[in-house]
Amino acid sequence: MKKKILVIDDDLNIRDYLVSLFNDNGYEAYIAGDVKEGIKEANKIKPDLITLDIEMPGEWGPRFYRQLSQDPKLKNIPVIVISGLSGHQYAVVKAVASLTKPFDRNELLKIVKETLN
Amino acid sequence: MAKQLYLIDGDENHAEALKTYIGRRQYDVICVSTFDSAKRLLDKNFPDIILADPFISEEMVSCLESVKKNDPRVQIIIFSQKDKLDTAMDIFGSSAIHYLELPLNSKALDLALTAACIIISMNKKVSQYSQKLVDFQNEQNLLNQLFEEVPCYISVQDRNLRITAANKKFKYHFGNQIGGYCFEIYKHRTSQCHECPVVATFQDGKSHSTEEIVTSKFGKQYNVLTRTAPIRNEKGEITQVMEMSTNITQIRQLQDHLVSLGLMLGSMSHGVKGMLTALDGGIYQLETGLAKKDDDRVFKASEQIKTMADKIKNMVLEILYYAKSRELQYEEMTVAALARNVVSNVKPMAEKHGVNLDIAIPETLGNIDVDPKWMEASLVNFLENAVDACVSDRDNKDHCIKFQVSKNSKNQICFTISDNGIGMDTETKNKMFTLFFTSKGSQGTGLGLFIAHRVIKYHGGIVDVESEQGKGSQFCICLPFQKPDSTKNVEFPVVFPRVNG
Repeated sequence: MKKKILVIDDDLNIRDYLVSLFNDNGYEAYIAGDVKEGIKEANKIKPDLITLDIEMPGEWGPRFYRQLSQDPKLKNIPVIVISGLSGHQYAVVKAVASLTKPFDRNELLKIVKETLN
Repeated sequence: MAKQLYLIDGDENHAEALKTYIGRRQYDVICVSTFDSAKRLLDKNFPDIILADPFISEEMVSCLESVKKNDPRVQIIIFSQKDKLDTAMDIFGSSAIHYLELPLNSKALDLALTAACIIISMNKKVSQYSQKLVDFQNEQNLLNQLFEEVPCYISVQDRNLRITAANKKFKYHFGNQIGGYCFEIYKHRTSQCHECPVVATFQDGKSHSTEEIVTSKFGKQYNVLTRTAPIRNEKGEITQVMEMSTNITQIRQLQDHLVSLGLMLGSMSHGVKGMLTALDGGIYQLETGLAKKDDDRVFKASEQIKTMADKIKNMVLEILYYAKSRELQYEEMTVAALARNVVSNVKPMAEKHGVNLDIAIPETLGNIDVDPKWMEASLVNFLENAVDACVSDRDNKDHCIKFQVSKNSKNQICFTISDNGIGMDTETKNKMFTLFFTSKGSQGTGLGLFIAHRVIKYHGGIVDVESEQGKGSQFCICLPFQKPDSTKNVEFPVVFPRVNG
């Protein structure tokens, strides 16, 4: 069974890119455009991994992570932060990795593979 | 050194005897017995003492008078026959120090010579003191001139931080308020500044340096670099402290431009990173689309690449444009929509900190000409500051911000923001729109309200502020409905409002 990855980013083009990248590499990608949608999707699909943008309209990424980590059913889902914001590595300290946009897609796939195995 | 004495005596034998007697008492004695020889001697040089019989010739009297007139330091002792002594006293009066009667009494002569020596030595001392006094006065004048003319603001302060002296430049810019408190005069504050370099110098005797923003008597703000130095008394105790401030406003203005440029690049880099990622995504889609022979993916990818290339091109052009100057991009929008956008931006922050928002936005206020991007950023800044003022207030009350929009009697739109937060002291109120002034310590940059105020000003608006420390503040931002004429080609701060993404 394919592993499920939830992509949370407000930029449609980046969402499309990540979805294609993950689908092409044997994963099943799902999308959310903001924190609220992200929590809803996470509850619905129970992903194996989440990629999270930091600065989004409305609530920002770290708030999503707080809500995620307070939910017993979701708190163990690994999170990879992908953001253009400087200093984002400090925003979600428990993230398995923090990548800066524009990221190296091979590096991302390597981290995803290691995390999901 | 032996004193020089001229002995003028018509009786040569008597003169020789006197010379021998006086010479034994360590005087260099030159003896003359005629007026002519006396005149020749006095034309060349004046001695310390003249011991003379003035009646050896008629001219001798006037000759001695003229000596005393030309050099009052010469001490004259007169001797003569008893019957002429009275006449001599009438003529010379106090010009001679002693009058001796012939035949001379050796004791009287010794006393007269001793008295002459004492006067000579006193005269020398007085002359030395006078010279020192002149030197001292010259030095004082020089120091005074330096103090007055140095191109800095100099003040001298006592332990109570009262100004005891100030130089010309200080008095011109801050008033001649000797005796007033430094913090009142320099900063229009009612209490001592938080970190006072003068107090620090009183405590440790060392020089301290700080950067301050001061307010002149004309209400102008200056950035100054301040340095202190202790002034000690003869026991080495610090009695006063001198404070010297250099005006660095121009340097700060230049820095303002550079910082603005840096901020712009910082905020833009975030957007650029997003675009590059999307561009990278487009390339990936194109490559994989070609490999999979998926025409739909290839088409979508090429569209995405084109869009991103356009976006990057526009952003670079904007950077170049903003780096020079910027005209406000006016758009007509409803006042209610503008106000609602502002509120929606601030709401999450207020909720996070438990601050209530009391909003009153009537739908009937019509349309307004504004640059939406800048105006929203500016109003958000004022509201965020109100939230900060509530968060900083340690008073355990329910904090609330009222945001009301209304029309005033001058047909202007007024955004009134009132909070019951920490409030401001006079200094903060005076300087809150000054570049790099912040009351938030390391949490603030001193840029937010400076830019927000500029935005309002360039829209032809004004900001009215009322505040009471401990009770809260009210900002009333009034804007004209229409774009003012004066905003054409204004130089604008090179800073972007925050861009999400």
